[in-house]
Amino acid sequence: MTVGLPAFLLLAALLFSLGLYGVTSKKSAVMVLMSLELMANAVNINLVAFSRFLTPEKMTGQVFAMFMMVVAAAEIGLGLALVIALYRQTKTVELDHINELRG
Amino acid sequence: MPILSIIAFLPALGAAAVMCIPNSRGLSLAKWVTAGFMVVDLVIVAGMALSFDRGAAGMQFIEKIPWIPSFGINYFVGVDGISVTMIVLSALLSLIVVFGSWSTDHRPKTWFVMLLLLEAGMNGVFMALDFALFYVYWEWVLIPMYFIIAWWGKEDRSYVSLKFFLYMLLGSVLILLGILAIYLHPQGGTWDMVELANRNFPVGFQMWVFGLFYFGFAVRVPVWPFHTGHSDAHIQAPTAGSVTLAGVLLKTGTYGLIRVSLPMLPDAAHQWAWFVGAMACAAILYGSVVAFWQPDLKKMLAYSSVGHMGFAMLGIASGTQEGLDGAMILAFAHGVITGLLFLVVGMIYDRAHTRMAPDLQGVGKKAPVLGGMLAFAAISSLGLPGLAGFAGEFLVIVGAWKSELPKFYTVVAGVGMLLGAAYMLWVIYRVVYGEPTETVEKSMPEARPIDLLTAGPLMAITVIIGLNWNVLLDFIDPAIKILTQTLVRS
Amino acid sequence: MNILVAIPLIPALVFFLFFLLPRATRTKMLFLPIGAMAVSLVLSLMAFSTVFPGAEKLAEHGAQFTSYTIGVIGGVPLNISLRLDALAALMLLVVTIVGMAVQVYSLSYMKGEERIGWYYAVLSLFTAAMLTLVLAGDFLLFYMSWEVMGLCSYLLIGFWNTNDEARRASIKAFLTTRVGDVGFAIGLAYMWATVGSFDIPTVLGSAHTWGPGVATAIALLLFFGAMGKSAQFPLHIWLPDAMAGPTPASALIHAATMVAAGVFLVARSLPIFEASGVALQVVLIIGATTALLAASMGSVQHDIKKVLAYSTISQLGFMFMGLGTGNVSAGMFHLFTHAFFKSLLFLGAGSIIHSLHTQDMREMGGVGKSMKVTTVTFTVGTLALSGIMPFSGFFSKDLILDHLWREGHYVIYSVALASAFLTAFYMARLWFRVFSGTPRKAGHAHESDMKILSPMIVLALLSVLAGATTLVFGEFLGSETEWPSLVMGGASTIVALSGIGLGWALFGNGRDPEAVRARASKVYMIVTNRFFLDLVAEQYIAGGYNRLSEKVNWFDKKVINGIVNGVGVACRQAGTQLRRLQAGRVQVYQRLVVAAVLVLVLVAVLATGV
Repeated sequence: MTVGLPAFLLLAALLFSLGLYGVTSKKSAVMVLMSLELMANAVNINLVAFSRFLTPEKMTGQVFAMFMMVVAAAEIGLGLALVIALYRQTKTVELDHINELRG
Repeated sequence: MPILSIIAFLPALGAAAVMCIPNSRGLSLAKWVTAGFMVVDLVIVAGMALSFDRGAAGMQFIEKIPWIPSFGINYFVGVDGISVTMIVLSALLSLIVVFGSWSTDHRPKTWFVMLLLLEAGMNGVFMALDFALFYVYWEWVLIPMYFIIAWWGKEDRSYVSLKFFLYMLLGSVLILLGILAIYLHPQGGTWDMVELANRNFPVGFQMWVFGLFYFGFAVRVPVWPFHTGHSDAHIQAPTAGSVTLAGVLLKTGTYGLIRVSLPMLPDAAHQWAWFVGAMACAAILYGSVVAFWQPDLKKMLAYSSVGHMGFAMLGIASGTQEGLDGAMILAFAHGVITGLLFLVVGMIYDRAHTRMAPDLQGVGKKAPVLGGMLAFAAISSLGLPGLAGFAGEFLVIVGAWKSELPKFYTVVAGVGMLLGAAYMLWVIYRVVYGEPTETVEKSMPEARPIDLLTAGPLMAITVIIGLNWNVLLDFIDPAIKILTQTLVRS
Repeated sequence: MNILVAIPLIPALVFFLFFLLPRATRTKMLFLPIGAMAVSLVLSLMAFSTVFPGAEKLAEHGAQFTSYTIGVIGGVPLNISLRLDALAALMLLVVTIVGMAVQVYSLSYMKGEERIGWYYAVLSLFTAAMLTLVLAGDFLLFYMSWEVMGLCSYLLIGFWNTNDEARRASIKAFLTTRVGDVGFAIGLAYMWATVGSFDIPTVLGSAHTWGPGVATAIALLLFFGAMGKSAQFPLHIWLPDAMAGPTPASALIHAATMVAAGVFLVARSLPIFEASGVALQVVLIIGATTALLAASMGSVQHDIKKVLAYSTISQLGFMFMGLGTGNVSAGMFHLFTHAFFKSLLFLGAGSIIHSLHTQDMREMGGVGKSMKVTTVTFTVGTLALSGIMPFSGFFSKDLILDHLWREGHYVIYSVALASAFLTAFYMARLWFRVFSGTPRKAGHAHESDMKILSPMIVLALLSVLAGATTLVFGEFLGSETEWPSLVMGGASTIVALSGIGLGWALFGNGRDPEAVRARASKVYMIVTNRFFLDLVAEQYIAGGYNRLSEKVNWFDKKVINGIVNGVGVACRQAGTQLRRLQAGRVQVYQRLVVAAVLVLVLVAVLATGV
């Protein structure tokens, strides 16, 4: 039995759901950032899988995935910087306590 | 020479110039610069009106430049006789208002900027022939008016300015929908308002689009029951705001009906006539009845405007030459007369700091010229022949009877003439006549030269138009004739 | 300049000049309005001479005519015009003669009045408007000057406006006449829709082609206007109150000229009434009702001017009765003579009021001994009004009675005779109370100066002589008139003499008949309360309107504005509720986004039908 495209997609979906769960339910901003990374990587898996199975002669998906990793690295850097800035302001990284945006 | 663009943009240029005046010399220079720009603008308008070929049909002084080519939107302006009279009214009242607020001391620079911007917008509405441009100007006028009420109004200004703006915006949205409906209709596809009058839209389509436009314009006119935004605004607005609001802004509503609804949707106009007429009659009676009881003079004037504009709406509903001629004369005359009334009431308010009729008895005895001006304005407003108010009302009554509208509409209009006399005479009774009250005795100096300069021209115009309707009809009648032919054809 | 234009224009120019001048300058320039009036008088006489002796000469030369384009409707010029025909020439004389008399009289009567300049300005405007009205060659100009006269009447009634009674009376006068004007205006609209013209000859020429329904409607609408202006029942209520104005103005406007404009309107448009037929009957009935009711109310008034005011209403009723027979001369001749003797009576009353400073007849008495000229002229007026041979009122009233009898309107005839009896009675009552007996509360009178007396003497002469023109008059207007027959004249003389006799019996030698009043207390109460018409008008119509206005105001504020504000409040409430969603927690937003995406996906999936 060969491992086909659906299996990769299933894996990506699982990973994405895990990330989504983390983003919406974790209290700590750091954990939310890590969950975001999970989601990004789920997308990466999708990209590579689609590229490999649908257009094997081109490397578009893989190149995109490379870009994504770079962007994700930058993003996590920026995100952590924001979290630290927030921590300096509010002495906490608990998202429930940061509700300055309340209307 | 692009004379119409100059007329529309000169005040805007003036606004920019006033903004550049250093703050230290704010008031003294700003009012002179404003008056200068407006005088020049009025002179150009007068020149335009004089060189206007009154015999020729169709639009004149046309300017057409592509504006947003991808949508086929042009900067397209031009005037016919109807527009000319309205532009004259706008330029004239704007200048008068500057004299009327000569000694404004609260943020004078901004004040005059707003007046100039307002004039630019009002001039623009009456000359735009491209639907998109029309809508831009249609909205433009609201913004200076909003600030005039919001920054220079009385105690309740923030509430009222917001209410007024939103109410007007509601009407504008309906109009925007109407414009889009016409543009998107297979037979539409152009923003050219002159061209659109030649497209015979299917009757079913006309019916509901006419409804959109009618309610949109009705908010501006204002037709009962959409008048409360206006009546509140008048109470809170400064004198100049009331003058331009009642004198010119209301006329954009009737102008819109005559420029947009009747020529583009003639079948629907015919079918809807009974409804437009009924609402007009309701406005005549309602406005007059409510005005009668008002102790607050400005509120009284606001409701009297509802009544008078009801006459104009009845003339429009009649669809006859007489009725439409009358409606347009009435629009002009009402602008002049109500402007005069608001100005004189403003003068009294500036002296006595009250507008309540019971506190103001005996102005005529203490200050005969001031009282006389109020009495003159009131008498012109009740439609005395020989003054401007009569021509419009009379022609509307004649036209309404001649049309297919139910005859009792005319009877209602006749009763409206009576009720109009009732509240205006009641004002003379309560304010001009009688022994001066304590307030009046203490605080009512006679009219100053600047007051005479403000009111005098309007009084003169009232008499001139009253004695020679042709001053207006020469312009209006040919344009209306084309319109009535469209209506007959349908 | 055309003489027709000059006649009304000169007084009008004086008005415009006075309107612009300051008060002090006006007061010094009173010679201007009087001069203008004199010029108009001379021009009117000249105009009259071009028409005299009447129909034939007119037919020969054609009527003088001048027109002016006031507007253009659908490319067709809308003209207003002046046209001089016999009827107009006659009215020109009436207006300018009485106007001249009143202006001279006012110089003394209004002397020292602070606003005398304005008074003269309004008099001039009034004269201009009335002259325009009589010359009007079309109904539009007729209506326009008609309204301007109404304004002048309003301004003059309210001349002493610090007095509350005068203020109220001025509004009442304007609005009551305006009720009639609404009818007039609608009549004009109907006329325009039917004929497409306001030109009087054109309209009258086509009247017989309209069909009786249209003719009746238009005639009645015009007559409704005439009822307002000429104070006919039930729109007569304004005229007695109008006496709050200066007496000379009352003499000019509310006795001789403006109130007669309604009669003139009906006389002008008589072909429309004849085309209808029914309308003539209505004119007769309204005229008769008014004549009798007003005469009875005049019999119980104590204010000398109000007696004369009710008398005017009653006499206007007579004129309408005359026109109701379809004969122009019958109505117009009475208008002509009445103008002179009634303005004479008013000026005489003014002379007495000027001297005694009261209008209440109960405070007067014995005036005859101290004011000789006033007494003589007033007596002439009284006899003319009562219809005693050979004074002018006898001839004109007899003409009306004669036509009523000949046309077979016997009921109307008897009503007219009864009114004539009451007329003689209330005039006798007035005369005996004021001139005979001994001075009462108001004290001794002293004779007025020549500025007051000379106009009265002139008018008294005219009141005597006007009757002699009976035959010429009919010829002038182009319809037959005859001297009164012995039977008719005898009947009316007997009636008039018995009225005077009753007046002498009750009021002669300073008597005051309490007994009679007590015996007929119910009737007396109804009549003194003016048949409750004023009460209804003021309490129920005007007062009811005020209450309605207050109610509608409440409705406007609470309901209509309430709905508008309610929409605003509803929006704000919705906003308040929705902002709870904006708790500021990032993760709540995320969950919302996720939920929304899921719903959208679900919708997309379902929509594609997978």
